[in-house]
Amino acid sequence: MVKGYEVVIGLETHAELNTESKIYCDCKNQFGLEVNSQVCPICMGMPGTLPTLNEKVVDYAIRMGHALNCKINRICKQDRKNYFYPDLPKAYQISQAEVPLCGKGYVDILVDGEERRIGITRIHIEEDAGKLLHSDKFHGVSLVDLNRCGVPLIEIVSEPDMRSSQEAKVYLETLKSILQYLGICDCKMQEGSIRCDVNVSVHKPGEPFGTRSEMKNVNSFSAAVRGIDYEVERQIAVLEAGGKVEQETRRWDDEKGMSIPMRSKEDAQDYRYFPEPDLLTIVVEQERVDELKRSIPELPNVKILRYVKKFGLNIKDATFIAESVSLAKLFDDCMAKDKFPAKCYTTWILGDLVKYMNATGKTLEDTKLTADNLTELAAAIEAKTISNAGGKKVFAVLLEEDKKVSDIIEEQGLAQVSDDSALEKIADEVLAANEKSVNDYKGGKTNALGYLVGQCMKASKGKANPGKMKEIILAKLG
Amino acid sequence: MELFERNACDLSEMIKNKEISSAELTKSVFDRIKAVEDKVDAYLTLDEENAMKKAAEIDEKLAKGEELSPLAGIPFGIKDNISTKGLRTTCASKMLDNYVPPFNATVMNKLDDIVVTGKLNMDEFAMGSSTENSHFKPTKNPFDTERIPGGSSGGSAAAVAAKEAIVTLGSDTGGSIRQPASYCGVVGLKPTYGSVSRYGLVAFASSLDQIGPLGKCVKDVAMVQSAIVGHDKYDATSAYREYPDFAADLKADVKGLRIGIPKEYFGEGIDPFVKQSVMTAVKELEKQGATVKEISLPSTDYALSSYYIISSAEASSNLARFDGVRYGFRAEEYDGLVDMYERTRSEGFGDEVKRRIMLGTFVLSSGFYDAYYKKAKLVQKRIMQEFAAQFADVDVIATPTVPSTAFKIGENTDDPLKMYANDVCTVTVNIAGLPAISIPCAYDDKGLPVGMQLIGGKFTEQRLLNTAYAYEQFVGGFKMPEL
Amino acid sequence: MNIDIKHIAKLARLRIEDDQLDKFESEMQNIVRMVEKLPDIQDEMTLDPDNPMILRKDVAVQDKFTRQELMQNAPQVKAGCLVVPKTVE
Repeated sequence: MVKGYEVVIGLETHAELNTESKIYCDCKNQFGLEVNSQVCPICMGMPGTLPTLNEKVVDYAIRMGHALNCKINRICKQDRKNYFYPDLPKAYQISQAEVPLCGKGYVDILVDGEERRIGITRIHIEEDAGKLLHSDKFHGVSLVDLNRCGVPLIEIVSEPDMRSSQEAKVYLETLKSILQYLGICDCKMQEGSIRCDVNVSVHKPGEPFGTRSEMKNVNSFSAAVRGIDYEVERQIAVLEAGGKVEQETRRWDDEKGMSIPMRSKEDAQDYRYFPEPDLLTIVVEQERVDELKRSIPELPNVKILRYVKKFGLNIKDATFIAESVSLAKLFDDCMAKDKFPAKCYTTWILGDLVKYMNATGKTLEDTKLTADNLTELAAAIEAKTISNAGGKKVFAVLLEEDKKVSDIIEEQGLAQVSDDSALEKIADEVLAANEKSVNDYKGGKTNALGYLVGQCMKASKGKANPGKMKEIILAKLG
Repeated sequence: MELFERNACDLSEMIKNKEISSAELTKSVFDRIKAVEDKVDAYLTLDEENAMKKAAEIDEKLAKGEELSPLAGIPFGIKDNISTKGLRTTCASKMLDNYVPPFNATVMNKLDDIVVTGKLNMDEFAMGSSTENSHFKPTKNPFDTERIPGGSSGGSAAAVAAKEAIVTLGSDTGGSIRQPASYCGVVGLKPTYGSVSRYGLVAFASSLDQIGPLGKCVKDVAMVQSAIVGHDKYDATSAYREYPDFAADLKADVKGLRIGIPKEYFGEGIDPFVKQSVMTAVKELEKQGATVKEISLPSTDYALSSYYIISSAEASSNLARFDGVRYGFRAEEYDGLVDMYERTRSEGFGDEVKRRIMLGTFVLSSGFYDAYYKKAKLVQKRIMQEFAAQFADVDVIATPTVPSTAFKIGENTDDPLKMYANDVCTVTVNIAGLPAISIPCAYDDKGLPVGMQLIGGKFTEQRLLNTAYAYEQFVGGFKMPEL
Repeated sequence: MNIDIKHIAKLARLRIEDDQLDKFESEMQNIVRMVEKLPDIQDEMTLDPDNPMILRKDVAVQDKFTRQELMQNAPQVKAGCLVVPKTVE
């Protein structure tokens, strides 16, 4: 709620797919190369050229559909969206209108510790447009670079299910981590590989949804938050002044921090969609759809919920582990052994491991650490075979060498002595040699106990189990 | 007999047997072009220098004993909407006056050892039935140069009839190969949709366009069709299947062939002489062993409307790319982007193209899509079903190709609807994606040819060619005009 | 049927001059009257799963054409780019 108004937000997110070739021709799909160097007669829309659909694009879109629990329309088609602009060589964009590749679905996100389900309306495949370059050097003209023409896109359309800019941001971050998990999008915001259009409306509680405006050119998640907040304020101001919110398309100017109307209602675009006659029906076999479903790993948003609910992790730790494919796998493999509580692993993963990775710039795959080793280490500590300090030494070796935990403990002589008779012998020797401290303790100076335990540890060369040692000394001091 | 007068099938043998060289043949054709082109105006671009060079190359390869295709060294004229690498491809439009494609159409790659004489005139962007919509000039009918050659492949048909090329390629969206073939007294085949790659054919209506051959005899057409047919990975609508060698398998045999005569194609609008000529030809096939049966294709009346809606809708989108940015004409003066678009397109396109773009834009526009485009597509579906049902009972359907013989230049230019009515017998074939061939079957009192159209089920080109061949054998070949 | 010729022309980025407007409008009216003769068919446009499309393998091919070849037909080129009137103010 903002100033007594409820806010309704829907997002249309465009993600560029990281295929080898473009969607309708075999030009290389790569960002940042010399202008007009990744083009051919097809993506330049030369007369007589025809599109052929890249099968990877279909696979990737179906995988995203599965990830967002969508109904997959394995029989679908493509349509032309007609409009004139210099970055659109054919003067139509091949997209999907009536029947998208993926239909209704949903995604669960965590907002302030609360689970929210955001509906997905559809996901469809389409081609990206080129880029217009403006420079003061070129007076009165714009330059057209067509390299991006035909880069494959999926457009993910959400239901108007979000109620705050914060929620929208978490939704976008969740989409991003899923895209990365699936490995289908580079998610480089600065390169425009994810962009979104924002639909915003406001209404008084209990009243029907207000008229929405659509905001284009939102190029980062933080810009989305700023844009939504601006648009909410603007619409409320219009309504408070007794005005009416227009259904219109606006352009977000992040530098100026404001949205500007792009075209008036009378100028409304008429895209004249009709079925793309140059392409036949897309038919994906059911077996392929199922196979793609099986290839979907558990996704970060689902993992976070599971870590929090089942393993008792806090959201911060759960998110940190879940959003890294490799950390999450390590953690899950450890937990799958069903031996020790999560804490036994998260301490190592979030502590020494991350510290090591940050310091060395290595990835988990670069280290020698395995789930088996980490579980063994946890077991040694739980069994009090080694101390925590000893554990750190073992862990440091595990990162760089392919060795068994038990071998490292033995090599470095890290095993704790828990054998009562051996410990009693040490205690007797230490107590005999430190009569003053014994008397101090008996005289009420309880901190002398620490000194005596310390002396025992020293005598054992650190191998004594400190807990056990303390018990024995206490018993002897009676 | 001069070399340029001969058929491709004979010339192919003569070249192979080294009786003649491709260079001699090519020179003969260019001599003919020089002699009659002034009267016919079939060509928009002639490419004698490269043609002679190519002919010499072919001769050299043959001398070395290299294995070449049956059409090696044969001079072809190419309709000017088929992309030819390095050779101006204008679509007879001011819009593409200076456009030189950097790539070849797939058919041109398939025909890589032919000799290209030049690019042939047509109605602008293949929109028209008389070649009068060419931005550059009208082509004349070699049977009577005061008359139209038909269209839109008017240059392709006229060049064959005037013997300015041995064979030619045309394109057919609503009759654009068959109708000029009929007017000019030559053989023209519109192949099954999807059998010949459209890659490099400048699109008019993507779901209806097909490239096809025109020639003086059925065997020539069969030879060219064999060479250009086949799946193409660059055309997603091209069919994935095997094809026979149409020329090798050609048989003048119609025994047991079931011919259907659809009454809707012999109605009021058709000239009585045309009707009578087609029926006489059918009787002849019957004498040779075919059976004839009257059939009905009731939705034929709606075909023309359906055709104009679908083709114009697709054209409005296909021709949107001509915007003065990447290639082609750009207006000299303009004020801003939208003005540049509007002036470029208004000055670059001719009236008929503008009419079709307007119609297509209208039928797709918000609020009209269901009433026009969707309805037209449903009619198309019904027309397909009616044909499919008939092809369970008959093998070939025979109709007139055009309602009458060639009309005079300028006669119909003021009345678009009258012009559109020329397509009434041919559009159904495109709407249904079927193959059809037009062959001459009579000459009227003015000596103008009448065409008979034979329509077959999908991918039955061999049967159509055989039927046409049987008729051709009976009449002893088709008469070409004197010029 | 009233056809808003100016609106349609605007969508199609064509300019019909005022003195041509009447002629164009009546021609369009006639054409539309002709194509309107379509029956109402109780049916829906359906997809054709029996004629599925063969998809292209995801393999990139580089250096098929030079920029020069591809831009040779362009009306105006600057710094390797196509030139158009300024699109933003």
